[in-house]
Amino acid sequence: MTALAPYIEYARKAFAREATYRIELLAEIGSLALRVYLLRALWTALYTHNIAPMGLPLHSMITYATVAMLMSLVLEVDGTRVIREKLREGGIAVDLMKPIVVPFAYFSDGVGQTLVHALAILPSLLISLMLVHIDVPSAATLVVFFFSFALGYGVNFFVNFLLNGVAFWTLETFGLQLIVRWISDLLSGQILPLAFFPGWFGRAVFALPFAAIYSTPLLVFIGIIPPRQWVTALAVQAAWLVVTAAASYLLWRAAARRVVVQGG
Amino acid sequence: MLAAYLQYWKINLLTMAEYRADFFMWLGFTIVYHGTALAALAVTMMRFPSMNGWSLREMFFLYALWMAAHELHNALFYNVMYVPEYIREGRFDRFFVRPFDTLFQVLTVPSRTFPDGFILGVVTLAIATGVAHVHLSLQTVLVIAAVVCGGAGIDLGISLFVASLSFWTIRVDTLRWAVMSLEQDFTRYPISIYTRAVRVVLAYILPFAFMNYFPASYLLGKHDAAFGLSPQVGLLTPLIGLLWSGCSYLFWRIGINRYQGTGS
Repeated sequence: MTALAPYIEYARKAFAREATYRIELLAEIGSLALRVYLLRALWTALYTHNIAPMGLPLHSMITYATVAMLMSLVLEVDGTRVIREKLREGGIAVDLMKPIVVPFAYFSDGVGQTLVHALAILPSLLISLMLVHIDVPSAATLVVFFFSFALGYGVNFFVNFLLNGVAFWTLETFGLQLIVRWISDLLSGQILPLAFFPGWFGRAVFALPFAAIYSTPLLVFIGIIPPRQWVTALAVQAAWLVVTAAASYLLWRAAARRVVVQGG
Repeated sequence: MLAAYLQYWKINLLTMAEYRADFFMWLGFTIVYHGTALAALAVTMMRFPSMNGWSLREMFFLYALWMAAHELHNALFYNVMYVPEYIREGRFDRFFVRPFDTLFQVLTVPSRTFPDGFILGVVTLAIATGVAHVHLSLQTVLVIAAVVCGGAGIDLGISLFVASLSFWTIRVDTLRWAVMSLEQDFTRYPISIYTRAVRVVLAYILPFAFMNYFPASYLLGKHDAAFGLSPQVGLLTPLIGLLWSGCSYLFWRIGINRYQGTGS
């Protein structure tokens, strides 16, 4: 356990730092309530005037969109932003000298920040329940959902890590990151179910890592991925986790060497 | 004052020519930002062809009308957003020792605000006007131009109002952010999909519906299902823009007087 102690400390510090922004957190919950209202109005209007597509009934659609919104409270926290800041301000050199595995320390930092926002999930869920009806799946489904969500969290972390890691080569990564964020919002299934995309594109989006972030857990939740496909779905997510983690590792190795060279 | 303003734009455009890479980067952002929003809309409407009687083509026009007005606001008045920051950091006081109007000085702080979004907005609006089969005549072109200017006025009125609040309280960032996301999310759809209270807010309190919903209803010859108002109300947009920005300017002056008062 002692080996983990510094990382737990990193997470605690990040938690305390992030928790000072109380008003922002309240605003986040308020804005979520507005967006849940919006999604109810939107999908209700669409279902009133059209035939339900692909056998997806309105209540499943609303459940999908609301749970996606709640997940975004946690997934939109970019725990690796710290890399970019440390690079700009030079703090990264000091961190590299410390007896820690730096990426793991940043991961802990990210987890600490995420936990603050995870606290907002409960009140947000209560407010959402006042606005919409959410289908509650079986206990087994919920367990698999949380497991899948955790895998998605990992993939999301490493995708962010890779994007922030580009800062080792060029400091202007904010724009690139925004672009990837907007595209991934769309291609991860956060805004709408990926099955809505037409033709070959609709099949191709499932083969991208973004689908592992939102789409898989959500499809488990609303039952589109049935129990007999759970293992395959989670295996694909796990594979993406391994790939993005390995890429992050390689990027980090190349980048750390670069910092040393520049400093020497 | 006009000469000074022209000088400001001359410097702005020269900066743009100097930082050409920056300009294209921002243009890229704007394209991806609006592109993903429109793609989400298009994919959704492929599955649900009608949104309360609005087709995809009409929804595209609705979006483009808001986009052009909002981007015109961004090109001319974006600096208003920085007022809370100026006040917090004490940089606002220098505006009092110069002979120009304070708001004019705020608007002309060089800040590399390129008109890339507005250019894109006009192009998008031109395409949308064709796609949505808006009956083209000199009159409709003039109406569209007036609506875009009026819409930018509404935008300015609201952001100036929020910025003026910072003469009384420092913490307006959260409020500004909430109003901005309300605008971006709720102007995307015809307001008839919302419940009555929200429609009233969007039409009469924060009149975002006049930026696109009412004028689009008029130009597309659609019946207003939200209030059953005559389509001609869509022509009121320029008036409402003038009214809102005028009232906000008065509020700004009151704030300035108060701010100077506490300083002495």
